[in-house]
Amino acid sequence: MSTTLFWLAVGALLWLIGLHGLLTLRDALRRIIAINLMGSGVFLVMIALAARVVPSDPVLVALVVTGLVVAVSATALALRLAGSAERGKSS
Amino acid sequence: MNLALLSLTLPLVGALLLILLRPAGGRWVIMINLASTLAAAGALHQVMQTGTQWLELGGWQAPLAIRFQLSPLAALLLLFTAGLHLLVALYAARSRHAIGGEDFWPLSCLLQAALAALWLSGDLFNLYVTLELLSLAAVALVALAGAKAYRPALNYLLLSLAGSLAYLFGVALLYGRYGVLDIALLSELAEADVTTRLALLLMSLGLMLKAALWPLHLWLPPAHAGAPAAVSALLSALVVKGPLYILWLLWSRIAPVELAQSAGGLFAVAGIFALLCGGWSALRAPYLKTLVAYSTVAQLGYALLALGLLLRWQEPSLSAALWLFVLAHGLAKVSMFLAAGELQYTLGSKRVRALKGASQTMPLALFAFAVAGGSLIGLPPSGGFLAKWLLLQPLFQQPQHWPWAIGVLLGTLASAAYVFRVVALGFDRARPTPASFHPDRLAQWLAMLPALLVWCLALISKPLLLWIGGVSQ
Repeated sequence: MSTTLFWLAVGALLWLIGLHGLLTLRDALRRIIAINLMGSGVFLVMIALAARVVPSDPVLVALVVTGLVVAVSATALALRLAGSAERGKSS
Repeated sequence: MNLALLSLTLPLVGALLLILLRPAGGRWVIMINLASTLAAAGALHQVMQTGTQWLELGGWQAPLAIRFQLSPLAALLLLFTAGLHLLVALYAARSRHAIGGEDFWPLSCLLQAALAALWLSGDLFNLYVTLELLSLAAVALVALAGAKAYRPALNYLLLSLAGSLAYLFGVALLYGRYGVLDIALLSELAEADVTTRLALLLMSLGLMLKAALWPLHLWLPPAHAGAPAAVSALLSALVVKGPLYILWLLWSRIAPVELAQSAGGLFAVAGIFALLCGGWSALRAPYLKTLVAYSTVAQLGYALLALGLLLRWQEPSLSAALWLFVLAHGLAKVSMFLAAGELQYTLGSKRVRALKGASQTMPLALFAFAVAGGSLIGLPPSGGFLAKWLLLQPLFQQPQHWPWAIGVLLGTLASAAYVFRVVALGFDRARPTPASFHPDRLAQWLAMLPALLVWCLALISKPLLLWIGGVSQ
């Protein structure tokens, strides 16, 4: 149980660091990384919850995989937008 | 159920075909939207007779299954989404300036599909996925306005992702505690313990951020005002209602009653603040579309107030008020944004000041704006008035509820002030801003159509009120 609690705490901490970064940073790239930290935190919490039983809970693992797909596509869109916004400003 | 699925898959398949084949989009999208509207109407008719229907995707049984749930309310929202898309597409096909490029067509279809999936979803994780689909499509639509909209679009995307991740954290906690994601199953299991409280708090904050509910609304005005007119109309009328629907599901279905009662008061207070702050900012906004965007913030305050009081007093009749607000606001706001787009394009300026004498140069567009504004203020006999009537009825029945009515009154005054600010300027004919070119009469009529529909709601007020009271239970 203590391992679960440890990883839950790490996940929540990552989530909070990401949130703090998103709210305080101004640079677009850093904010995108902050969002991804938040995402990793949530996924870590989900995996920690899944690993409470042996073998691990397939539903949560499937949710994490789906969540990763969503996170990748959102990050791609964010990077594209950030790149275009930077280029628009410099030209 | 089949008709509802048709209403979901038509725009989805249509969007993919439009992206692959790249035909001239407008005509196809109007046909897709028309078919989708008819299918949704059929689904609503069916579900009114049979009651709520379920579909288990892939044939899995209850705890593992991903269920689609077609309740009468979901069918009504499905019809509302498809119908508004149809109205916007009719206008957009006429006014090319309002869409920011051909990419509008497939993206608007994707947006419709995401919303339809959201109304139909019956479990928390599926709702998360549809929320993300919705915001990705919405952000791409905002970015259509070109380079100056990239920054608001990026900001919108990042904040909306943060909201989704807060929601997802809550979903993970709920699953860890109860081991189910299905809303119907969760509603039987949920207890008022620490984990549930934390999960509900995280999910509510995330959803409030995504729905731009006060005090988490600051991203909305730049994003909605920066987008092309037809996009702003869809965003304000539909996209912010998706998270609101989930918030309603969460608190009225899953949350234990004692938690819901204490949270309801907070929601209602936030609603009053949204009405006042949104109204005040709209009154001072220098640009026309920013004014309309702040009016969305203010109008969402009514919905939040209805939700809060519904939870606080556990008064089911207020659900009808909530959903009637959503319908009336959607129709009126589409009209208002389209009219604003038409005005600022023809008069060649984004400023509110440029509307001087618009009653002379563009009477139809100004009339559309005023008619839509009348419904937002809640003048009888409009849809907005009916919703406000439903909200005020339980307030007036008991003297200790009267202070809330003062909040509604102040909100009404604020919305009257910003609508009349525009209309009064329009009638100032001393030195009118000349139109850059001949105004497009048909486009102005198409912009007015949704506003006329919202006033038509009042013609069928009695059956509508009874019916919507039954639907939204």
